[in-house]
Amino acid sequence: MDLAVKDIRRHVGKFIATIIGVGLLLTIVLVMNGIYQGNIADGVWLIENTGTDLWVVERGRGGPFNESSRLPADAYRSVAATPGVARTGPFIAYSAQREIGGASQQFTIIGYDVFGGLGGPGRIASGNAIRAPHYEMVADDKLGLHLGESVRLGTRSYTVVGITHLAVDAGGNPLVYLSLPDAQEVLYQQDGRALVAARAAGLKRLELSGYNPEQAAKLLPLLAGATDTISAVLLRLAPGADAEAVRARIRDWLYFNVYTMDEERELMLEGRLRRMSAVLGLFRSLLVVVSIVIIALIVYVLTIEKIRSIATLKLIGAPNSVIVRLILEQSLLLTAASFVFAWSLVQLIGERFPRTLVFLPQETAVTFAVMLAGGVLASFLAIGQALRTPPQLALGG
Amino acid sequence: MPIVEVSGLNKTFGSGELAVHALRDIHFTVEAGELVALLGPSGSGKSTLLLCMSLILEPGSGRIVMNGQSVYDSGATGIDLRRFRRENIGFIFQANNLIPFLNARENISLALQLNGRSKRDATRRAQELLEYLEIGHRAESMPANLSGGEQQRVSIGRALANQPPLIFADEPTAALDTERGMRVMGLLRKIARERNSAVITVTHDQRMIEGFDSVYHMQDGRFVDAAEAAH
Ligand SMILES: Nc1ncnc2c1ncn2[C@@H]1O[C@H](COP(=O)(O)OP(=O)(O)O)[C@@H](O)[C@H]1O
Ligand SMILES: [Mg+2]
Repeated sequence: MDLAVKDIRRHVGKFIATIIGVGLLLTIVLVMNGIYQGNIADGVWLIENTGTDLWVVERGRGGPFNESSRLPADAYRSVAATPGVARTGPFIAYSAQREIGGASQQFTIIGYDVFGGLGGPGRIASGNAIRAPHYEMVADDKLGLHLGESVRLGTRSYTVVGITHLAVDAGGNPLVYLSLPDAQEVLYQQDGRALVAARAAGLKRLELSGYNPEQAAKLLPLLAGATDTISAVLLRLAPGADAEAVRARIRDWLYFNVYTMDEERELMLEGRLRRMSAVLGLFRSLLVVVSIVIIALIVYVLTIEKIRSIATLKLIGAPNSVIVRLILEQSLLLTAASFVFAWSLVQLIGERFPRTLVFLPQETAVTFAVMLAGGVLASFLAIGQALRTPPQLALGG
Repeated sequence: MPIVEVSGLNKTFGSGELAVHALRDIHFTVEAGELVALLGPSGSGKSTLLLCMSLILEPGSGRIVMNGQSVYDSGATGIDLRRFRRENIGFIFQANNLIPFLNARENISLALQLNGRSKRDATRRAQELLEYLEIGHRAESMPANLSGGEQQRVSIGRALANQPPLIFADEPTAALDTERGMRVMGLLRKIARERNSAVITVTHDQRMIEGFDSVYHMQDGRFVDAAEAAH
């Protein structure tokens, strides 16, 4: 006889409230799973979408996404001259926070050679990639921009010619693609007053070092920082070329760091995502523990409420297995129902969620298994109490 | 052969100055199908005797043999007590102790299923018992919606379910008015006669024991004769 279900029918309100409460906690757990896997998917997509074979970055740096890397812009020419290299393209990536559509938005700007083809935008939902050398942009739909819209970045305006969907970096920030010179300009160019201020500061520094104003004015342009730099060189190997040999050559002769696609992916996962994974792991464990504690308390309360019935069961000769099953089933029922609630809710909100969510079936299954194990654990307190209850209790009152 | 043989049974609650000798050297035999009444003032040890005989309470010393099996011999005899109880003893108690989340029929069929009957079989037999107890039409009612008399009948049905050779009833009529009490007692008589179950029932109402085979009077944990009890 299904005692567990029959008893629960008396406590539908309590049962549903628990399912909703625990279900919401589990929803957070599932969403955290989804965010983490979503970040990995986004990060990996960003790397793979460039269609490059090797990444050439500044010596000793883990760029271009995990650490800033600066190379002279013409580095792509020297890399192109290396035997075994079919094609190269300059690439720049940096994060920016600017006012777009009336709100301050954070995004990642990617500059690439719009005529070379490497490193250009993917996941274009409407419009097209950049075709003009200047003043066009491709932006992700997360920024709320529309085709043909004009967006001011720094001193100039750019026309949106393409809209992407789900083109984000590993942090979930939308991508904005510009031609390489435009991206450099947005990064380095200052408006008139900022230039005047910077010039004044530079002159003052020189004068303090003992140069007279005339000398200082002559020296100043020579000291200006280089603005014609890129973050990386993307590289396509010639058919049949030995990647290791090309790599060794670039490393030893041009004195750059070279990563394969796999290494670049590893850098992303190891560096940026590891701490996130640890943080999410901690939160997920805490939420799971809290869920299990709540279930344990509710199952305990349900058990105490029917402790006389349990004593009666003992009185009419029910073996302990019947009593254990009664409590265990309620605990597992609560756990499973909460999980199903959470899972359904995640399906509902998944599409509208502001971050990419990726659910791996095996990860969902493991979460479910952990919760079921927790459900078993949660029933121990109540089971202990029930087994200690003397049958005489049924006679009192 | 008697169905119950109790000899030299003692039970003491507490110890030292606070010790309560609830049972003192009880000797007592019941034949199969015998209808037995236990009478006595409150606190005389009637409930304790039933609880010890059914091994819900562990006696202090003495011997109990039921249905040919030694169930207590100044200590446990190693039998599975809950199973023995399930198969041999039916209980009816003063207070309603039906399972509140099961309806009348389920309360009875649970006892049958615990004894290994299939669900279908148990449900059918539970319905038969309810009919026998003249509350067949209340089969689907939850205990809370049954009157005291109806609840007591369901308890009786549960006690009878596995056709135990022994039925213990502890003041089964205490919560009922006289008329309903008489009907319940009549039912117990009928059960003893028709089903050959020995019925041992506790009461403190003399009027209820009409037609019983044996009547025992208890006082201070001892059996006393009727004349003594009258004082
Ligand atoms: N669990 C217990 N602990 C201590 N004393 C008890 C307990 N149960 C019964 N007693 C005592 O044992 C005596 C007999 O009680 P009981 O068998 O309930 O009497 P009756 O059923 O005849 O009214 C009483 O003095 C009662 O106080
Ligand atoms: Mg009593």
